[in-house]
Amino acid sequence: MKKEIINLTVNGTLHEISVEPQVTLNEVLREQLDLTGTKLSCGAGECGACTVLIDGKPELSCCTLAMTANGKDILTIEGLARDGELHPLQKAFVECGAIQCGFCTPGMLLTSKALLDENPDPTREEVKSYLSGNLCRCTGYVKIVDAVLAAATEMNKGGK
Amino acid sequence: MFRTLKPFGYFEPKTIEEAIGALSVHGAKAKVLAGGVDLVPRLRKRQAHPEYMINIQQIEELDGIIKETAEGLRIGALASLRSIELSPLVKKNYFVLHEAIHSIASIQVKTQGTAVGNLCVATPASDVAPALLVLDAKFRIVGPSGEKTVPAENFYLGVGQTVLQPNEIITEILLPKPQAKTGGAFLKLVRTAADIAKVNAAATLTMADGACKEARIAVGSVATTVLRVKKAEGVLKEQKLDLKVIETAARAAAEEVKPISDLRSTAEYRKETTRVLVKRALEKALERAKA
Amino acid sequence: MSQKLTCVGKRITQKDVLLKATGEARYVPDVRLPGMLWGKVLHSPYPHAKIKKIDKSKAEKLPGVAAVITVEDAPKILWARSFRDMPMAPSGALQRADEYILADKARYVGDPVAAIAAVDEKTAEEALELIEVDYEQLPFVLDPFEAIKPGAPLVHDYAKNNMAVHLTPPPFLVKGDVEKGFAESDVVVEEKFFVSKQVACQMETQSCVASVDSSGKITCYSPCQLAHPFRRELGKMFNVPVGKINVINPFVGGSFGCRLSCHNEPICVLLSMKTHKPVKLVYSKEEDFISIDTRTPHYYTVKMGFKKDGTLNAMNLDVTTWAGGYLSRAQLAGGITLIWGLGHYRCPNMNGSCDVIYTNTTVAGAGRGFGNPAIMWGVEEVVDMAAEKLGMNPVELRLKNTKQTGEMANMGLPIESSYIDDCIREGARAIGWDEKRGKNKGGNGTLKRGVGMATMTHCSGAWPLLIEHSNAFIKFNEDGTADLTVNPGSPGTHIWGTLSQIAAEGLGIPVEDIYIVTGETDKTMFDLGSHASRSTYVTGNAVLEAARLAKKQLLERAGKILSESPDDLDVRDRQIYVKSNPEKKTSVANVCSQAIYNLKGDSMNISGKSSWCSHYNSIPTAAYFAEVEVDTETGEVKILNFVTAVDCGKAINPMTVEGQCEGGVQQGVGYGLTEDYVINKNTGAVESNNFTSYKMPGTMDMPETTKTIIIDKPDPKGPFGAKGVGEPGLVGVAPAIGNAIHDAVGVWMKDLPATPEKILKALMEKSPQQD
Ligand SMILES: Cc1cc2nc3c(=O)[nH]c(=O)nc-3n(C[C@H](O)[C@H](O)[C@H](O)COP(=O)(O)OP(=O)(O)OC[C@H]3O[C@@H](n4cnc5c(N)ncnc54)[C@H](O)[C@@H]3O)c2cc1C
Ligand code: FES
Ligand code: FES
Repeated sequence: MKKEIINLTVNGTLHEISVEPQVTLNEVLREQLDLTGTKLSCGAGECGACTVLIDGKPELSCCTLAMTANGKDILTIEGLARDGELHPLQKAFVECGAIQCGFCTPGMLLTSKALLDENPDPTREEVKSYLSGNLCRCTGYVKIVDAVLAAATEMNKGGK
Repeated sequence: MFRTLKPFGYFEPKTIEEAIGALSVHGAKAKVLAGGVDLVPRLRKRQAHPEYMINIQQIEELDGIIKETAEGLRIGALASLRSIELSPLVKKNYFVLHEAIHSIASIQVKTQGTAVGNLCVATPASDVAPALLVLDAKFRIVGPSGEKTVPAENFYLGVGQTVLQPNEIITEILLPKPQAKTGGAFLKLVRTAADIAKVNAAATLTMADGACKEARIAVGSVATTVLRVKKAEGVLKEQKLDLKVIETAARAAAEEVKPISDLRSTAEYRKETTRVLVKRALEKALERAKA
Repeated sequence: MSQKLTCVGKRITQKDVLLKATGEARYVPDVRLPGMLWGKVLHSPYPHAKIKKIDKSKAEKLPGVAAVITVEDAPKILWARSFRDMPMAPSGALQRADEYILADKARYVGDPVAAIAAVDEKTAEEALELIEVDYEQLPFVLDPFEAIKPGAPLVHDYAKNNMAVHLTPPPFLVKGDVEKGFAESDVVVEEKFFVSKQVACQMETQSCVASVDSSGKITCYSPCQLAHPFRRELGKMFNVPVGKINVINPFVGGSFGCRLSCHNEPICVLLSMKTHKPVKLVYSKEEDFISIDTRTPHYYTVKMGFKKDGTLNAMNLDVTTWAGGYLSRAQLAGGITLIWGLGHYRCPNMNGSCDVIYTNTTVAGAGRGFGNPAIMWGVEEVVDMAAEKLGMNPVELRLKNTKQTGEMANMGLPIESSYIDDCIREGARAIGWDEKRGKNKGGNGTLKRGVGMATMTHCSGAWPLLIEHSNAFIKFNEDGTADLTVNPGSPGTHIWGTLSQIAAEGLGIPVEDIYIVTGETDKTMFDLGSHASRSTYVTGNAVLEAARLAKKQLLERAGKILSESPDDLDVRDRQIYVKSNPEKKTSVANVCSQAIYNLKGDSMNISGKSSWCSHYNSIPTAAYFAEVEVDTETGEVKILNFVTAVDCGKAINPMTVEGQCEGGVQQGVGYGLTEDYVINKNTGAVESNNFTSYKMPGTMDMPETTKTIIIDKPDPKGPFGAKGVGEPGLVGVAPAIGNAIHDAVGVWMKDLPATPEKILKALMEKSPQQD
């Protein structure tokens, strides 16, 4: 199939990329841009491991054709820390023991970022509910939810 | 088994006419693409084999706007499930739809997936469809011969089958104005919270002078399509609603459904819990209608 | 142990965790080598079929395809995915080698029959559909009870009636006279149970990157957590000296048992050999579901007899282990159920048996807890059934029969330390047992509430059933930091952090100063690998011993500098000081650098190396408590609160212990309530082959509160008193929930998972008077 040129702004950098139409955003990020922090697990929308923020919203890179992301702004895990400074969510995940094998972590972090952008002071229940599309087999989720709440507290203190 | 998608042609029409034109040329070989949450995994699993993908997201006449009209509410075809769930208009006047979408777990699926896409998949387990059935929704459909409006109730033909032709697209969902003293509720049984329904039920009740003026009940995952259980509705009409009447209606609903056993549940369980869910949905709807 | 600990017992984050938060951590699917090809495997669609002919010509002709391989291209040598060289005591028997790299005959749906290497993944997948296999479908058998009937289709010619092996308990667990014991019991309960084929559901799918260079050196990036035994197996398989093989474990996205075997690695190596290029092979999640090891399922009968006062008097277990198309670890997983089940409580009369039976289903192997969650489901339910008959409080009944320090443990050695009674008492208090048990407290209308409990004992390594051998090497660097070389894989258990804490404490330097060297068989000495809750205990002891030796050298050098006897010196805060005169000191860095850069001619790199073999096995114990709410109209179960009280000796890192236990709760909730591996009876195909059809718990399915109580009393044999804790978290979760369901609504669930369908059916069958 014919390749087409698309423009993606990924973590603040504009990339001109040539892709075949069947290529997913997940493949472009991982294989073309070498941003392997975005994972692929189920490939079917069921696990959230491939979550990235597209124009600020949490979406599934495994279910997104790269073509449909043309012109959009994409944030992957590699772009969450700014100028070497970890995002409060990253700090909290590390400190609270929210990361075991780490394979779900990029998706968890980006979904959590979307949550805190939308709702800076969520309750425990709201965090659980927002993360319900992100599966983790290691942690039992307890420390993940703790970490999101800790990060929210930190950010509300102005620690941003 | 696969991780990549098979090659296909891709087209991004700018107008509805262009889209319909492309769909008409390629017929069943083409597929409309909206959020892709359903379609892309099916391509990966080799369960769909389109040669052309028609992405409708760039069509200028289509949008995701949710707004009040003289007749009621209008939801654009590109509206994501999440935007409908969060819409204050929906929460206020069509709570059963909010509740139905709220029951869908994954934020990402709801952010990316559209309600129209959900309907077009035509799974009997849709949570959106029962809510739209009891809200008496209509779908605006555009095809080569123009526009038509189809009531949600007449939309489904079977598993994965609707009245929609391969060269037609849905442009809007239309909901009539809610009547006074109407309450609705949606309930769902699942294996884990992030799951499609084993059984779901939506109900709306409109009360007048202490009696039931109108009752609508729809259930999902218990037949080849989501369906209205009209005998059960009939039990309620013009009745003063007490627990006994509600229980009779719920039993009637369970009689009307024809569930199967599959991975998610058994026919037996589905029949029994249809009764339970319908009863509970009616009780809740009644409470809300009175409020 | 009276010494003051400065590092052990602290909540410290393992260093490399940061890389997982930034996306820098590279897992096998993230590895990219220059000139790399992509591999793809063709799996059998039939559960049992002779492969008459494979026509690969069309696939080979597709542009971009570099190789297509079948059994013809593979070494004609049987191998064992769970490694031949693991001797099992007491017989020294090895794991059975019963498969080829690619199947000669398909034995389950998902059995790899051919493979491709191509320039990219898309081409490899396209080529897959061009391979034409001429299968001769054979009659197949899915169910173990059908499989042992005379005339059933044979999965392997060697195994008559598909019986892979018939096992009896080890001699130390065959005691007294069981029949007499039952006859002399006042209450005897006998029940049948089934435990399901739970899937690991590790989030990183099975993957491998292999590269065979012109010298024949094999580099294999693999998530297998038994890197050294796996290297040996690869050597035998391809007839290559072990020294020519480097198995690299990069970051690993979860294991839970499945990484105890290797799966597509040999195929990937073979593709690289054929193409002379590196090859990457990443399974899709569906391939994971149908073709990597699942937990081993079993059907079994538990019979227990008690005296009126609650003393356990007789016990018998008869287990039918449902193995798949190849044996993997099903033999061990079956046999060890007898050890966990019979070894848990004190009992004068006991016996058991276990038949391990081949079927044409996905291979069953290890699962976290290795047979313990399976058997304790039934044993702990039977204890509660007996408690009901005896009119005893289940807490009291268990306290009456738990084994204490000094008694014989499950693996036939004396118990070094057991605080199981503390677990039971503290857990019961935390859940509110006395206020809630039998009282439907907080229940309302159709929602009934109940509490339930379960207990277990596990192991720290598998001695004396398996060898328990680990090595550690510590060397001091010029600046006083230290490199710790070890090789247990780290599938997320933070073992490297735990071992660093042990090393730091042992050396007397801050944990920040410890740098782990690991993850490659080329760089590390032998380690049996991460399994059987062994790494903290066995590798940990190796590390502690290496630290002791390195510290001895350090103090000897320091003694020379300070003109003091080494015995009078100690290390604190990066300083070496004279114990009687702390002001007299020198820095660790100074001693280390002087040792290395030294013109006196006696340079040395201060170091310590230890080869450690465990000759004992300290048992972790635990008690689990669940509070549930059951909807009597729908059978749905909501878990309100869950408490795990765990005796894992001294917790080296309480945060890690909690993490292991909380994760165990998730897996136990899934095992108990939702995870169901469904095989189509007509086709043998796996129907639950993704996360939509196979449901593991998400955030909303977890208990509203989850609490871990760490008893934290040191064991005499573990490093700083630690015992294993990697597996216990999961073991008693399902039975605690099952017993809580009974407390709430009075029905016993016997088959896992206990779905609402089964609960509602049981409720409807129960006569209403019993309410
Ligand atoms: C993990 C997961 C969990 C889910 N859970 C639930 C759940 O609990 N309850 C529930 O109800 N649903 C659930 N869904 C389904 C989900 O809601 C739908 O897949 C999604 O809404 C589809 O919308 P889409 O825009 O992504 O459609 P697409 O995938 O783009 O398209 C789906 C289908 O609709 C057609 N289509 C789309 N738009 C139009 C149009 N305007 N005109 C004509 N045809 C059109 C497409 O051709 C295609 O056939 C789940 C899905 C996933 C992946
Ligand atoms: S990989 Fe995209 S949702 Fe699982
Ligand atoms: S940390 Fe391993 S899957 Fe979440």
